[in-house]
Amino acid sequence: MRISLQEELDQLEASLQEEGTLVLRALRGCLNALERHDAELADEVIAFDDEVDETYVAIEEGIQSLLARQTPVAIDLRNVLAVLHINLHLERMADYCVTVAKLTKLVHDTPPDETLAEALEDMGTRAEEMIQAALDSFANRDVESAESLVDMDELIDAANRRVVHQILSISADPDLREWGLRMLLVSRCLERIGDHAVDIGEQTAFLVSGQFREFTDASH
Amino acid sequence: MTIIESPVQVAQQQTRELPPPEKREIVFDVSALTVSYGENPALKNVSLDVYKNFVTAFIGPSGCGKSTFIRCFNRMNDLIPSAVVEGTILYRGNDLYGPDVDAVEVRRRIGMVFQKPNPFPKSIYDNVAFGPRVLGMTDDLDGRVERALHQAALWDEVKDRLKDGALGLSGGQQQRLCIARCLAVEPDVLLMDEPASALDPISTTRIEDLMHDLKREYTIVIVTHNMQQAARIADMTAFFSVQVEDGRRSGVLVEYDATPTIFTKPADKRTEDYVTGRFG
Amino acid sequence: MSVASADVPIQGGRRRGVWRGRIFVGLLLLSMAVGFIALGTLFFDVLSRGLAYVDPVLLTNPPSSDPDIAGARPAILATLYLGILLILFTVPIGVGTAIYLEEYADRNRWYNRLLELNIQNLAAVPSIVYGILGLAFLVRGLGLGRVLLAGALILTLLVLPTVIIAAREAIRAVPGSIREGAYALGATQWQVISRQVLPNAIPGIATGSILALARAIGETAPLILIGALTFISFNPTVMGPFTALPVQIYNWTKLPDPKFKALAAAAIIVLLIMVLLLNAAAIWLRNRYQKRW
Repeated sequence: MRISLQEELDQLEASLQEEGTLVLRALRGCLNALERHDAELADEVIAFDDEVDETYVAIEEGIQSLLARQTPVAIDLRNVLAVLHINLHLERMADYCVTVAKLTKLVHDTPPDETLAEALEDMGTRAEEMIQAALDSFANRDVESAESLVDMDELIDAANRRVVHQILSISADPDLREWGLRMLLVSRCLERIGDHAVDIGEQTAFLVSGQFREFTDASH
Repeated sequence: MTIIESPVQVAQQQTRELPPPEKREIVFDVSALTVSYGENPALKNVSLDVYKNFVTAFIGPSGCGKSTFIRCFNRMNDLIPSAVVEGTILYRGNDLYGPDVDAVEVRRRIGMVFQKPNPFPKSIYDNVAFGPRVLGMTDDLDGRVERALHQAALWDEVKDRLKDGALGLSGGQQQRLCIARCLAVEPDVLLMDEPASALDPISTTRIEDLMHDLKREYTIVIVTHNMQQAARIADMTAFFSVQVEDGRRSGVLVEYDATPTIFTKPADKRTEDYVTGRFG
Repeated sequence: MSVASADVPIQGGRRRGVWRGRIFVGLLLLSMAVGFIALGTLFFDVLSRGLAYVDPVLLTNPPSSDPDIAGARPAILATLYLGILLILFTVPIGVGTAIYLEEYADRNRWYNRLLELNIQNLAAVPSIVYGILGLAFLVRGLGLGRVLLAGALILTLLVLPTVIIAAREAIRAVPGSIREGAYALGATQWQVISRQVLPNAIPGIATGSILALARAIGETAPLILIGALTFISFNPTVMGPFTALPVQIYNWTKLPDPKFKALAAAAIIVLLIMVLLLNAAAIWLRNRYQKRW
C-alpha cells in the first residue's frame, strides 16, 4: 500500500546511508592526511566536500517534495523528520573533516609529537566507529545500539581531555606551540563529530519511540 | 582516494525518475482547445502536452472544465449534441477530430473509467469480455479476461466466481472491474474521471497503487477534485480555474508543470492559493 | 427560540397536526374501501350467477340456441388467436418505434416532436373510434373483409401507443452510465442498444406488452363494429369470420332466457380468469427481473 510513498522513503534513506559512507571516507581521508602530513591528500578531502554538499541538498529537496506531495503521518512523518535531522548532522560532520584537513595543511611541515599524534588517531578511529554505529542503528531501528553511542562518546571525551593535557605539556617548546594549538582545534573537531553521532542516535530513538529526548544532558 | 559515484546519481537510477523534457514522448498535443455547450464556452484556449507513461492530473475547482477536457481525449463529447469542439488535439501526431477518424477505434485505444463505478448488470466475466466481443477480439477470450483482471489487481479476489454478477462486488472492486474492462481491449491510454471519489480511503489507496503500476505500460490521465491525490500519484499536474468574462464563466488552464513544482513552488499565485487551500 | 421553551415537557400534550393526520388517513382508507366494495360486489354478483355454468361444456361446445348445451369455444379460441396475433404485431412495431424515439431521434426536429405528440394523443382515443377506423380502412378500404386478421390489426392500433410508451419507459430506465461505459469501450450505437439497452429493458417491455394484451382482449366495441359475428359454430381462422369472448358475452346478455344470462356470467368468469392470469404473469415478470441499479 502507498507504493510511491514507500519507494520515496526508501530512496531518501538510501541516499542518507550513502551520504554517511561519504562522510566516513572524508574522515578517513583527513585522518590519513593528518598522520602522513600529506597536504595533497588534505586538498582532495576539501574538494570532496562538494560531493557531500550535493547529496545534502538533494536530500533536502527530496524531503521538501515528499512532505508537500505525500503528507506522511505517524511513523512515516517521524521517519522523514529523522532523515532531515540526520542529514544536517552528517553535513556538519563533513564540514569538521574539512576543518581538520585545512588545519593539517597549515602545519604539515612541522614534525609532530608522537604521543599526541597517536592520541588523535585514536580519537579519529573512535569517531569512525561511532559514525558507523550511528548509521547502522538507524538502518536497523536499534535503540539499544543507539544508546551505546553515549558510552562511546565518553571515551572520546576522555581522550579529548588527555589531548588537552598533553598539549599543555608540550606548549613549553616554541616549535611545537603552534602545532599544539592547531591540534587542539583538531581534537575539538573530532569530539564534535562524536557529539553529532550521538545526536543521530537520538533521532533513531525518536523514530522508534515517538518521543524526542536527549541521551545526555549537554550541561555536563 | 577515489571519488565514488554521487549518491544522487545512484538514487536516480534506482527509482523511475522522470525523463527530462527533451526525452519525453508526446502522446497528446493539445492546441488552443475551446469547448462550448451551445453558446457557453466551458473551456477556453487550452494548450498542453501529455507525455507517454506519465500520470497527468487535471485539478481545479468545480466548473473549471476539467471533466469536459478529459472527455475530449476519447471523443465522448460527441455523445452530447450541443457540444462544439474547436482547436486541435493530436494523438500521436494524428488529428483526433479529423474527418476520417473512426470514433470507435479512438475509444478502443483511449479507454475511460468513470467517477461512479458502472459495471454492466452481467457476470464479472461478461463485463470484462464485453469490450473484446464488440470489437471482434474474440481469440483467447479467457486469456484476455484473466490478463485484464490480473493487471487490475482483481484476479485473486474473483477468480473463483467469474460467473457471479458484477453488481455483487464492493465499490472498490467494481471500480477495479471497470479498469479491467478497459484494459481488456489493450488500450494505449487510460482516462480516469475522478476514479476514486466514490470510494472509501482503503479502496482509494489501492486504486492509486494500481495507477503507479499501470503507468509502466500505459499513459494515464486523471481528473481529480482531491488535490492531495494528484500530489501523491501524478507526475505532471495541470491546474485549471474559472474565469468570468462578459458574465460568462469558462475554464482556463492556469499552470501545467511537474507535480513537485506545483506543490512546492508554483509560478502562478492562483495555483498557490488553490493548493494551499486559500482559494476563495 | 427562547430558553423558556426548554421547560416544556416532552411527554404528553397534543399537537395540532395529529388529528389532521388521522383524518387524512381515514379519508384515504375510505376511498380505498369504495373501490374494493364496488369491485367486490361485481365479483360476487358474477360468481353467484355464473359459477354453476363454468364447466367443460362452456369451453368445448359451440354456441347454440339451447342454453343447456351452449358453449363459447369459438369465442374463446378467437380471443386466443387475437391475443397471439396482437403480440406478434405490437411488440416489433412498438419496440422499434420506442428505440427510434429514445436512441436515434433528434428531439429538436419538428417531425420527431410531432410523432411524440401523436403517440401521446392516440393513447387516449376511445376504442370505438378505432372500430370505425378499422371498418373504413381495413375491412372496406383494403378489402380484408370482416375477418380475424382485421380484428387483430385494429386491436394492434388500439394498444400500440400504450406499448410504445411502456417500451420507452423501460428503455429510459436503463441508466446513462451503462450506455456511457459501453460507448467508452468502443461499441457502436447499434451494439450499445442491442447488447446493453434492450436486454436490460426486456422485462419492462414484456410487462408493458402483457398489460396491453390484457386490456385488448376485453375490448368489445371495435370488434362489434367490424363485424365480429354473433353466431359462429365453427372454429375461427385467421382470414375467416370470427367472434370474440367479450362479443359473445354481450350477445348472450341480450337474450331473454335467464339461463343465457347465467351463461354470460360464466363466460365473464372465464374472461376474468384469462385477464387475471395475464396480469399475474406481468407482475411475476416485473418482480423477477426487478433491477437494482
